[in-house]
Amino acid sequence: MSAITSHSATSTRQWPVRQIVVHLVLILAVAFTFAPLVWMLGLSLKAPAQIFENPLRPLTTSPTLVNYRDVASRLDVLRQLTNSVIFAGGVTLLQLLIAIPAAYAFARWKFRGNALIFSLMLLSIPIPFVVYYVPNYVLMARWDLLNTYAGMILPQAASAYAIFLLRQHFRAFPRAIIEAARLDGAGDLRLLWQVVLPNNIGAITALAIIIFIGSWNEYIWPLLIAPDKSMYTLTVAVGAMSGGEGGTRWGATMAAAVIASVFTLGAYLVSRKRLLKAMAEGGVK
Amino acid sequence: MALGSSHLDLPAPRRAGTAVPAASRRRIELGSVLRPYVYLLPAVVTLGIFAFWPLAATVYNSFFQWNMVSPRKPVGWENFDRILTDPSFISLLQQSALYVVLALISAFLLPVGLALLTMQVGRTAGAFYQSVLFVPAVISSTVGAIIWQFLYLQRGGPLNAALSAIGLEPQAWLNDPNLALPSLGLVSAWKFLGFNYIIALAGVAGLPREQIEAARIDGAHGWHMLRDVILPLMAPTLLFIGLTAILQALPNVFVPIQLLTVGGPSGSSSNLLYAVYEDAFKFFQIGRSSARSVILVLILGGFAIWQFRLLEKRASYE
Repeated sequence: MSAITSHSATSTRQWPVRQIVVHLVLILAVAFTFAPLVWMLGLSLKAPAQIFENPLRPLTTSPTLVNYRDVASRLDVLRQLTNSVIFAGGVTLLQLLIAIPAAYAFARWKFRGNALIFSLMLLSIPIPFVVYYVPNYVLMARWDLLNTYAGMILPQAASAYAIFLLRQHFRAFPRAIIEAARLDGAGDLRLLWQVVLPNNIGAITALAIIIFIGSWNEYIWPLLIAPDKSMYTLTVAVGAMSGGEGGTRWGATMAAAVIASVFTLGAYLVSRKRLLKAMAEGGVK
Repeated sequence: MALGSSHLDLPAPRRAGTAVPAASRRRIELGSVLRPYVYLLPAVVTLGIFAFWPLAATVYNSFFQWNMVSPRKPVGWENFDRILTDPSFISLLQQSALYVVLALISAFLLPVGLALLTMQVGRTAGAFYQSVLFVPAVISSTVGAIIWQFLYLQRGGPLNAALSAIGLEPQAWLNDPNLALPSLGLVSAWKFLGFNYIIALAGVAGLPREQIEAARIDGAHGWHMLRDVILPLMAPTLLFIGLTAILQALPNVFVPIQLLTVGGPSGSSSNLLYAVYEDAFKFFQIGRSSARSVILVLILGGFAIWQFRLLEKRASYE
């Protein structure tokens, strides 16, 4: 462990044995991470008769799209895609709309109760979600919002985590810029819209993608509130395909899993750097 | 809100003595006093309705018998009595503890260890490992659970095929009461390893280089360097990751349980959080479910407040 920093001279000298062992361990972790994904993709491309042919060889030499066609014909993929976009998009938009002004107020002004209100909000972060599911389900049922987008989206509108993360960014934003804009006669809303937001767009985008991916991937809550098949999101539809009627059709299920994952993977690939930075900020700093 | 007050930034009392007529000054002051609350209103209202009211409702409901349909029937402490005296409570408690222990390995020790290793490889290789190991974090627990369901298949599943290939007995991964819980723990380990790895990496990257260099010149190296210099410097990050691992252990394994074992076989893979859900949405016993929530929050409360304090402390820096 002598060379903990990568730039020290010793680490280059010790390359062979130590470095190889370190890489081996990390590659092992990569294999653990990737093996299940290889199986997902491989099975989705195998003809149903081939699924159990050679359990240790996930990839086939004769890939077929028959499972994808099967999924397309049996599931209402377009409808579910729309539901996913509305649900995840709705949660993201609403959370940002609510969190941005709140975070701005906390960061910018001293007012009676600032610290207290902020602390109370933080208090909601470590509570396990199932505790909220029961009363919120009862509430949505009473408001007659079961099987509606509003019922799926509304209870997730407020996120103390989003407020926390944005507040940190807004506080770090140089006050001199705000002062200068104010001297130019910018009002509060314009200041927020035209100065603070554009200058924090990186952090806000990253947060939006984190919220979007998280909501896209939700299973229990959307299924609880909207058990009607026409309201299924892609993630819920994949979950419903497992087990179910007379055993799982593995090829089709994996094809559906690939379809459900492509969008979040794409979002991650496009925004990798920003997203990882924002994730790290959520944990340390 | 008073838009005209936008040039005033400080709280009202500090601005006494500005040369503005008394009446309009009062209006301006009222406006700037109220302004922060206007910005906070949507957040306060939504958090109030969907986070704080539910907590209050949960405590209230825990003293009733209720199936969501017929009127609530007050039962005093009976729900708590029944839960705590039921022999299954001890096994739920033990199984929850086991999930937490597994999470401490997979969501604390492993990510921190891998982060320390990553710092020893070059920058490009490090970025590669970072990007790749995070991938399961963007894939849903639902998809993860279903892939693992296939890997765990008793007949024709790859894991058992691998065991057979090296001459070992195939296992009933999800149907053996001794194996179901750790098998589910492995699914959530796969899904959540990357999250805490990223946080641990940031903690390692933030270590003060000079201090480590100075310790090295003083002759610290190997195990001593790690134990006496690096880990103490990383303490705040380690504490945060550890607490997150503990608090998220049960939520993170929730979807795998629901999709792969529904708590079975014979309750062996259930836990305190899953029982909250089962009572409410399988048995429609809202009162008992709420009492379980209250007990769970009390058990996790110490860790929750500890984490909350950390967040608060970090928020007041900068």
